[in-house]
Amino acid sequence: MGGHDAGSQHQFTGFAKYFNAYTITGRRNCVLATYATIATLVLYFKLKPKKKAVTAS
Amino acid sequence: MALNFFDQFMSPTYLGIPLIALALSLPWVLFPTPSSRWLNNRLLTLQGWFINRFTQQMLLPLNLGGHKWAVLLTSMMIFLVTLKMLGLLPYTFTPTTQLSLNMGFAVPLWLATVVIGLRNQPTVALGHLLPEGTPVVLIPFLIIVETFSLLIRPLALGVRLTANLTAGHLLIQLIATAAFVLLPMMPTVAILTATVLFLLTLLEVAVAMIQAYVFVLLLTLYLQENT
Repeated sequence: MGGHDAGSQHQFTGFAKYFNAYTITGRRNCVLATYATIATLVLYFKLKPKKKAVTAS
Repeated sequence: MALNFFDQFMSPTYLGIPLIALALSLPWVLFPTPSSRWLNNRLLTLQGWFINRFTQQMLLPLNLGGHKWAVLLTSMMIFLVTLKMLGLLPYTFTPTTQLSLNMGFAVPLWLATVVIGLRNQPTVALGHLLPEGTPVVLIPFLIIVETFSLLIRPLALGVRLTANLTAGHLLIQLIATAAFVLLPMMPTVAILTATVLFLLTLLEVAVAMIQAYVFVLLLTLYLQENT
């Protein structure tokens, strides 16, 4: 397996410094962000109040 | 009574006692215990040589932290090879055709490698879920795919072992039945079928050893990723 990228040859700035596909921490943060997004979506749809059906009287 | 080719895979019981426990403990009695003598006999020497050579080969890709797994991996390999070899004998039951047994091996060992990785080096373990150099657009998709491939590993390990052995045993029984049935009707064809059966049996011996090796090798590779 290839060695881990120490990130010394990549000079990222701003957002890319923390979220990129080259450094190990960047990859870790991308993974955690993806998991957090999926968890948020699941929780949102689970906890969303269901609309009650309006019956005609 | 119709012949059911899958009867050979039913877990045998006798008076309510599951005999699979006996089948699983049989390899233990077949191997001699190393003695305290300076010079052992040929069998012990051969056994010791094989175990040492195999352990050395298995531990090549692992760093020092992974060497703790030497006993577990070597004993797993010897156990699986012995079970499969015994299962190739006529009228014997092969415990490794049971998915429950193979999953019982695969899931805890795979989970141990994952937990070790998350505990000792969480950044690297999580970082492995995204291949290096992935285009930005593909990042979420690839993370989901890699997570799924990680979670499918124990299932693949167990099912690979089960399916290979089940298919092999089934083929042997089918071709043996064909040879037996053809013998009074077409002896020449029956002899050809018996030749095919002989070659298939040799193949199954090789497959049995290779599948055990692949199981242990994959565990070694998963461990290498996480140590």
